[in-house]
Amino acid sequence: MRILLIEDDGLIGDGIKNGLEKPGFAVDWFSDGNEGHEALFQAEYDAVILDLGLPGRDGLSILKDWRNRGRSEPVLILTARGDVDERVAGLNSGADDYLGKPFSLKEVQARLNALIRRKNGVSAPEIVYRNVTFNPQSRKTFLNGREVALSPKETALLEALLFNRNKVLSKEILENKLYSWDDEVSSNAVEVHVHHLRKKLGKDIVKTVNKLGYITED
Amino acid sequence: MKKLNLRLRLTVFFIVISVAVFATAGILSWTECREKVDEFFDTYQIALARRLSTANWEQIAPGMQEISDGLVKDIRNADDEDDAVGFAVFNSEGRRIFHDGENGRDFHPFGRTGSFGTEDVDEEDWRVIRMMTTDGKYIVAVGQELDYRREVTEDMFEEFMAPWGIGLIVLLTAIIVMLTLEFTPLKRLAADLKKRPAEDLSPLDEANIPDEVRPLTDAVNGLFKRIERMLQRERSFIADSAHELRSPLTALKVQLEVARMNEDDPKKLDDTLRKLERGIDRAAHLVEQLLALSRIDSSFEREHAPLDWREIVAQVTDEYARSAREKEAVIREDISGPPPFSEGNPVWAALMLRNLVDNALKYSPAGSEISISVKDGKLAVCNSNTAVPEERLKHLCERFYRPSGQKTDGSGLGLAIVSEIAAVHGCCTDCANTPNGFCVTVYRKKNLS
Repeated sequence: MRILLIEDDGLIGDGIKNGLEKPGFAVDWFSDGNEGHEALFQAEYDAVILDLGLPGRDGLSILKDWRNRGRSEPVLILTARGDVDERVAGLNSGADDYLGKPFSLKEVQARLNALIRRKNGVSAPEIVYRNVTFNPQSRKTFLNGREVALSPKETALLEALLFNRNKVLSKEILENKLYSWDDEVSSNAVEVHVHHLRKKLGKDIVKTVNKLGYITED
Repeated sequence: MKKLNLRLRLTVFFIVISVAVFATAGILSWTECREKVDEFFDTYQIALARRLSTANWEQIAPGMQEISDGLVKDIRNADDEDDAVGFAVFNSEGRRIFHDGENGRDFHPFGRTGSFGTEDVDEEDWRVIRMMTTDGKYIVAVGQELDYRREVTEDMFEEFMAPWGIGLIVLLTAIIVMLTLEFTPLKRLAADLKKRPAEDLSPLDEANIPDEVRPLTDAVNGLFKRIERMLQRERSFIADSAHELRSPLTALKVQLEVARMNEDDPKKLDDTLRKLERGIDRAAHLVEQLLALSRIDSSFEREHAPLDWREIVAQVTDEYARSAREKEAVIREDISGPPPFSEGNPVWAALMLRNLVDNALKYSPAGSEISISVKDGKLAVCNSNTAVPEERLKHLCERFYRPSGQKTDGSGLGLAIVSEIAAVHGCCTDCANTPNGFCVTVYRKKNLS
C-alpha cells in the first residue's frame, strides 16, 4: 500500500516512515505543506497521513483543496491539539479519521488499515481467498490455516492483489503501490515478487494476463 | 502591641470625651449652684437680721417667748418645711432675750458682728451673722445650718444635671449604634474576604462601602484583576507548554516503536537509537526553555548587579566554541561601547546571549560568520548568509513560533526568551535583515521626553 505522509516534525515523520515501511507500506514523506499538496497528484496513494500544524500551508486548507478537486483518498489527520472543535472542523473538511498526539505507530497502522479496508469495500478484518487468509493489521498470511512467512514486499503485493480482486493490475500499478519515490526499483522487481508468492502460496494465487498485468480471480 | 480595633477605639474615645465634658460641666454647675444658694440664703439671712435689728427689743415681755414657741410648734406641725434658719437676740451682757424657739436657743451669745462666720451650734456647722440692733443695745444673730444649704445645693444640682445625664446616655448609645452600623459593611467585607475561595477573583461588592474605604476596595479589586490576568497567563502558558510537549513525546514514542521493530537489524537499530537520543535532547531542551521562560515570567524581585558584558560574551562564546567549529562558523566579538543595560541579573543576561548565539548557529548555513556586538547602547547578534522572509520577522519573538520548512530542532522559544529578558530590563528586541545578515538587536527603549 502506498501512503502519502505530510508531517513537518523531522523525528515524527522519520519514525512513521520507517515504522510503516518495515511491514511493507510504501511511504512518501513530505515536510512542506505545498509539496505534500502537490504530491497527491503525482502518484496513486491508498491513504494519506496529514499533520494539521503544518508550516507553509496548513493541513486543513490542503485537505479542503483536495476534496474540492474531487480527490477521495482516505485521509488520517494528525494533530497536537485535541479539542473537539478542531476535530469536528477536520472531519467536516473531509478527513476520514483523526489521531491526536502523542499516538503510537501501531495505532497509525491500525487506522490506516481500517481506512484502506473501508475504501476497498471490505469490512471483515481478515481477507479470505480460497485457502489463503490474510490479516492486514498483523501482516500475517495463512495457507490452509498454517502461517506462511512472506517478505514485507510480498505481503504488500498479496494485499494489493486481494484488495483488487477480479481486476487486472499492471506492473506499473503494482510498482507504484509497492515502492515509494525513495526506493530504487529494478525492472523485474514485480516479477520476482510474483514468482515468490506463487512458490509460497501455490501457482493459482495470481494469474498472468499477457502484456496487461496480473489478476486474482474468484 | 496589638492595636484595638477602630470601632472599639472610637467608642472608648467618645465615651471618655463625653464623660470628661459631662464631669467638667458638672463640677462647674456644682460650684455655680453652691454660690447661688449661698448668695440667696446669705441675702435672706441679712434681710432677716436687718428686720430683727430694727425691732424694739426694749418692750419684750417675759411671756412672749412662750407664746412664740407655741406658734412655732403649731406651724411646724402644720408644715414640715424647715429652712433650718434660726435666730436669737442677746443683750450686751450676752443674755439671750429672745429666740426663734428652736435652733436659736443654742446660739453662742458672743461673736463677730457685721459679717458671716461658721459656728458650731449643737455640734453642727452653722453659718451665722450677727448684727447690732439700731438702738445699739442688743445683738441679733441669724444662722442657718450648713448641711441644709448643701442639701438644697444638691437638690438643685441633681435637678439641673438629670436631663444632661440622660442626654449623655442617649448620646453615647447613639454613637455606639452609629459606629456599629457604619462598621457593618466593613465587617461584612472582611467576612466575605475571609471565606472567599482562592479561585474566586470577582471584584468586591462596593455597595454601602464608605467613600473613605473605597480606595482600599478599589486597590483590592485592582489586585484581583492583576492576579486574574497573571493566572490566565500562567494557565495559557501551561496549556501551551503541554501542547508543545506533545510533539517531542510523539517523536519519542514513534521512534521507540521503530527501534523495537529493528531489534534484529543492528545498523538500523543504532540509527534509530541515535534519533531517539536526539528526540530526548530536544524534549529536554524544550523543558529547559519552558522553565526559563516561566522563571522570567514569575520573578518579581529582580537581582540587580553591575554586568560585565565582556565576561558574559567571553563565557557564552566559550560555550559555543565547539558547536561553531563543527559548523565551521566564526564568532566575532565587538565590545566597544555602552551596552543596552549595564545592571541586571547576570544569569539572565547570559541566558539571553546564549539563546541569541544558539539561534544564530542553528539557523545559519555552514561556514557563516556570527558577530556579537555590544556598543551604542545596543547588543546585536548577526549571522551572515542568512535572511528571514520579511513577513516572518515580526512573529519571530512570539512564543512557540516556528516558521515553515524548519529542519532544525528548536523549541520556538529562544527569541521569546530573549525578548522577555530584554523587556524585564527595560529593553526592546528587533529582528531585521541587514547587510551583515540576519540580526537580532536588543536596545534600550527610547524615553518619551
